[in-house]
Amino acid sequence: MNAHSARALIRGQLLAGGRRAVGSVEREQYRCFSCTVRQAQQQQTPPKTAQNKDGTTHFGFETVAEALKEQKVRGVFSSVASSYDTMNDLMSLGIHRLWKDHFVRNLNPGRNPLTSGPSEQKGWNILDIAGGTGDIAFRMLDHASTINHDAHTKVTVADINPEMLAEGRKRALETPYARSSRLNFIEANAEKLDMIPDSSIDLYTVAFGIRNFTHKEAAIREAYRVLKPGGVFAVLEFSKVNNGLFDAVYKRWSFSAIPLIGQLVAGDRDSYQYLVESIERFPSQTEFRDMIKDAGFLVPGQGWEDLTGGIAAIHKGVKPA
Amino acid sequence: MASRRTSSVLLGTFRAASRRPATTWRQRCCYHSYEYNSPPPFPPAESAILSAALSHVPSYGFTADALRLGARDAGYMDVSTNLLPRGVFDLINYHLVSQRLALKNSVQFPSAGEQGKKLGTGSKVRTLTLARLRANEPIIHRWQEALAIMAQPSYAPASLAELARLADEMWYLAGDESVDSSWYTKRASLSAIYSATEVFMTQDTSKDFIETEKFLDSRLGDVMKIGGFIGALTEWTDYTRHSAVNVLRSKGMRV
Ligand SMILES: C[S@@+](CC[C@H](N)C(=O)[O-])C[C@H]1O[C@@H](n2cnc3c(N)ncnc32)[C@H](O)[C@@H]1O
Repeated sequence: MNAHSARALIRGQLLAGGRRAVGSVEREQYRCFSCTVRQAQQQQTPPKTAQNKDGTTHFGFETVAEALKEQKVRGVFSSVASSYDTMNDLMSLGIHRLWKDHFVRNLNPGRNPLTSGPSEQKGWNILDIAGGTGDIAFRMLDHASTINHDAHTKVTVADINPEMLAEGRKRALETPYARSSRLNFIEANAEKLDMIPDSSIDLYTVAFGIRNFTHKEAAIREAYRVLKPGGVFAVLEFSKVNNGLFDAVYKRWSFSAIPLIGQLVAGDRDSYQYLVESIERFPSQTEFRDMIKDAGFLVPGQGWEDLTGGIAAIHKGVKPA
Repeated sequence: MASRRTSSVLLGTFRAASRRPATTWRQRCCYHSYEYNSPPPFPPAESAILSAALSHVPSYGFTADALRLGARDAGYMDVSTNLLPRGVFDLINYHLVSQRLALKNSVQFPSAGEQGKKLGTGSKVRTLTLARLRANEPIIHRWQEALAIMAQPSYAPASLAELARLADEMWYLAGDESVDSSWYTKRASLSAIYSATEVFMTQDTSKDFIETEKFLDSRLGDVMKIGGFIGALTEWTDYTRHSAVNVLRSKGMRV
């Protein structure tokens, strides 16, 4: 959205927001501006055993039936599909684009014809899961083409949400890849990628998506299945800030300010509240690294790289050859 | 550039040696080749890729290309080089670590009884230093690239730590078991001499690196002249310690 319409939207939401806030008081009493942090801390240890027995999972800090979560997540991203950049900007203090650049540059996608034998397979086969708006996919293709002179690397963008995919297709029109066979979009759930054959993918990426999956282990197992031996699983995700003071400040910012700003900017407090809470619930760097190892992957070094003090982290796994 | 790096290495080594006695001790007990039961320094997949990549260094240098070719040789793919978080530096580090650990097998000293005269610690250190330098021969025309990467701010600490481990290993293999205050200065001076000679060797065009050998001998000679290897630096640090104390005293502090 451009600056002008954003301003108009904010003005409109400021007016509407006041009214709406009154309406939602019964449901959201505890989410008042000043007490969200305390509330969040109290809810950090929900009765986990009960949850699994009756087939429930969590939606942010709300506990919901598993079948409902997929639907709810879909709802969140439908409601933020077009304003999701704003959300990422808020959560990352404005630097998610730099993280994405770093993520892609570091993976160095593409096969450089100058250093590759002629008879070998051309280009990489990349699967970008939860790729929604194509952010990562476009970067991958740009890097392969301009840095590695590779005109063959392909990216398949998969997302559970048709509206995110529609946004991605729309944005693709502004890139050179819109009508080429190097980019395609499919609707798929990361936990069940039946349409992708075993051992067919060189690089599997998921950026700011995996924390939304209902069964993260199932998604990691699927990643292992579809990757070729030697293939790489790479995750960019919000993570645990590793400095106590910064953590306190960041939590206060994310739990109290972001849902409010979400309300003002996008008129959708609930979705932003969910996003903040889902980040808080996501496993720590070491826990997530161990989940990747448990699925059979080799991990490089300590297994992850912290970005900006741990606000986000990049995890990688390599399928043994 | 070479001389600037050498002096920063010197400074770094002294600084590291004086500031972190505890760490150095810990390193000493974990990295020695005498720890026969210690696990291999690199996991199998990394070893396979890196050792294959090293064979491409003479023609491709310490580059991402060498890594990719190594990955393919080892049955992996280009993308698998993501297994190495520090990329090309991991390749350099692999060379450093494996050549350090290879020293104990490549150099064998006759035991005291076998020969009429026992080799002194000084000559053993010289033999070991030369052996380690010789291990750079196949890649010497690429070693300046490697030195430039090692000097990058994010890798310099790891490079210096590895240099310290090399000096430590050489003193250990030369049979030096002293634990007195000369421990640090011996390692610091050997680190400095080794890295200066290593840089010299990258520019040496003489036959069989005869000039490098001479260079090493005159560096070793320098320290020997002032009180036998150990003396040089002990004297220097004693002197500075005393003068620092005197400065403080002159400012009225009771030390
Ligand atoms: C915050 S967006 C991230 C979009 C993009 N990758 C980026 O980095 O900006 C999270 C995406 O995950 C998708 N998603 C959530 N659950 C999913 C699942 N089970 N399978 C596939 N995609 C899912 C959502 O539809 C949404 O597009």
